[in-house]
Amino acid sequence: MADARDLPSVPPVVAAEQLAAEGEVAIGAGPAGIPGQERSERVRRVIVYVLLFLVALLFFVPFFWSVTTSLKTLPESVGFDLLPDNPSIRAYRSALSAYDFNRYFLNSVFLAAVVTTSTLFLASLGGYAFARLKFPGREFLFLLVLGTLMIPNELRLVPIYQMLIDLPVLHVNLLGTYQGYFVINLVTATSLFLMRQYFLTIPKDYEEAAKLDGAGYFKTYWRVMLPLAGPALAAVTILTFQGTWNDFFWPLIIFLGDETKYTLPLGIFQFRTQFYTQWPELMAASVIAIVPIALIYVFFQRYFVAGVTAAGVKG
Amino acid sequence: MATVAKTHSAAHRATLGRESVREALVGYAFVALPIASFLIFFMYPLANAFYISYFDWGALGKIESVGLGNYRDLLDDFLFGKALRNTLYYAAVVVPAQIALGLGLAVIVNQALRFRTFFRAAFYFPSIAGSIAITAVAAYILSADGLLNAGISAISGDEYNRPWFGQSDTALESIMALNIWTTSGTMMLFYLASLQSIPTDVYEAAAIDGAGPWRTFWKITFPLLKPGHFFVAVVSVIGALQVFDQAFFISAGSGGPNYSTMTIVLYLYNTAIEGARFGYASAIGIILFAIIFTLTLIQRLLFGRAEVA
Repeated sequence: MADARDLPSVPPVVAAEQLAAEGEVAIGAGPAGIPGQERSERVRRVIVYVLLFLVALLFFVPFFWSVTTSLKTLPESVGFDLLPDNPSIRAYRSALSAYDFNRYFLNSVFLAAVVTTSTLFLASLGGYAFARLKFPGREFLFLLVLGTLMIPNELRLVPIYQMLIDLPVLHVNLLGTYQGYFVINLVTATSLFLMRQYFLTIPKDYEEAAKLDGAGYFKTYWRVMLPLAGPALAAVTILTFQGTWNDFFWPLIIFLGDETKYTLPLGIFQFRTQFYTQWPELMAASVIAIVPIALIYVFFQRYFVAGVTAAGVKG
Repeated sequence: MATVAKTHSAAHRATLGRESVREALVGYAFVALPIASFLIFFMYPLANAFYISYFDWGALGKIESVGLGNYRDLLDDFLFGKALRNTLYYAAVVVPAQIALGLGLAVIVNQALRFRTFFRAAFYFPSIAGSIAITAVAAYILSADGLLNAGISAISGDEYNRPWFGQSDTALESIMALNIWTTSGTMMLFYLASLQSIPTDVYEAAAIDGAGPWRTFWKITFPLLKPGHFFVAVVSVIGALQVFDQAFFISAGSGGPNYSTMTIVLYLYNTAIEGARFGYASAIGIILFAIIFTLTLIQRLLFGRAEVA
């Protein structure tokens, strides 16, 4: 297994530094102006902008199309009018009544909220210890954390499936329970890594001041370090929330067969296999799944960038 | 690691000693839960997967030890061969396309453009949606009477009605196109981080030497991006070899039509969850792990050396 320094840590560190700088990223080197070529330069720029907008449009069309279709009737959905004649939320109602998408939505919110909370707490607490506290074996334990990044989910499928059916020592069956999902998603190495890197960039003066005031380690973590780690916490929040919200693999393994525990991705999959070409309803369900993440993205774009770059370690 | 300054008096050192024991204990306490979680749900499963793969292991538990029998059986397994070929073909197309597109987009949005933030947001947008929701959208657009066929019909003048996901000669390719589109934005972000670590004075030097943008890109930017290439290549290869959600969704788990969308992970899932052949499924998981591990090492050898610099 690779040494810590051998892992491709360059972009995450950059991401952490960007977070630390807390500002818009530096503008890259623009083309140097060559006198006498301004006109052709302007023409070139217009062409570039037109092309860019076309590509951006291409990236958006599928989403636009899914939203308009979700407001259409079935006959309209196989036609190609850009906008529905009589936009209605019929498809949303119909999808919600055919299956309990309200419930799936709430399940998705519940899973994402719990996993995000536990990840935030454990990753920041562990990250603080790895960044600041000295204890024998620290480097080895940190290598172990990074080592988990090399283990693909699929390899864990069978052992974890068996573990959930009969949890060692306690001998309880967690398959099909929320607890089963939570226990395997308490914290991720990526989040812990991200928090540690961020804490390393914080000057030690703050803690020393707290120490002089007689604050203990937990109090220093809670009162001094956490308030200073806002950007990293935001990145971990978004990363974890999005990852859990979109997760299909583990909910499929843990909840398949028990509709009361389905999340939105499982609900969409079930809907698709039952009503193959009910496009407005299928698009309505997809829009319900995409919109919350899209809203978070619009408002917290900066933290998305840092989080995703760091998450790349995991792949 | 620990370099303690030697300016303390003996009395000081005694309190420090007690203090450092306390610090160590607190440190262990703070990392205890994450470490326990990683040991129980990552390291133990890794070891256990090797162990299980040496057994004929069914729904009710261990049946008998078969040594390397599961691995031998995989060699003659038609479906596994199909899944392996499909997955490698998928990776061979998706990885270079993602890298090229991600790099291209990153170089563009790294320039001093107007609306730069908008373009970045737009190109990254498909990456944020969940794989299942986005595959549902793709299933609609690529359906027999979907938007893509309508576009082709309008341009060619002939009625075109191909169910892209429903025919074995285009199903896997359609998943490729879908994933190239959805993940190139992520690759763009990785490259963007890497691009911004290149010092600007290199570009100034190149401009003074009169190098044009094309030459500057190939002679300066591209080589200096070496750590970025490595990182993106590793992430892209690992992601491509693990393709599952999209194939599962469009084939309802069957890997159809005609096994054209059967991937390694889909086969693993079916073998384990549907077939309850846990030993055999574990062997598939180990093979996948070995492939990923080997390719990562090879990529390291190809791109890794520049990282030291």
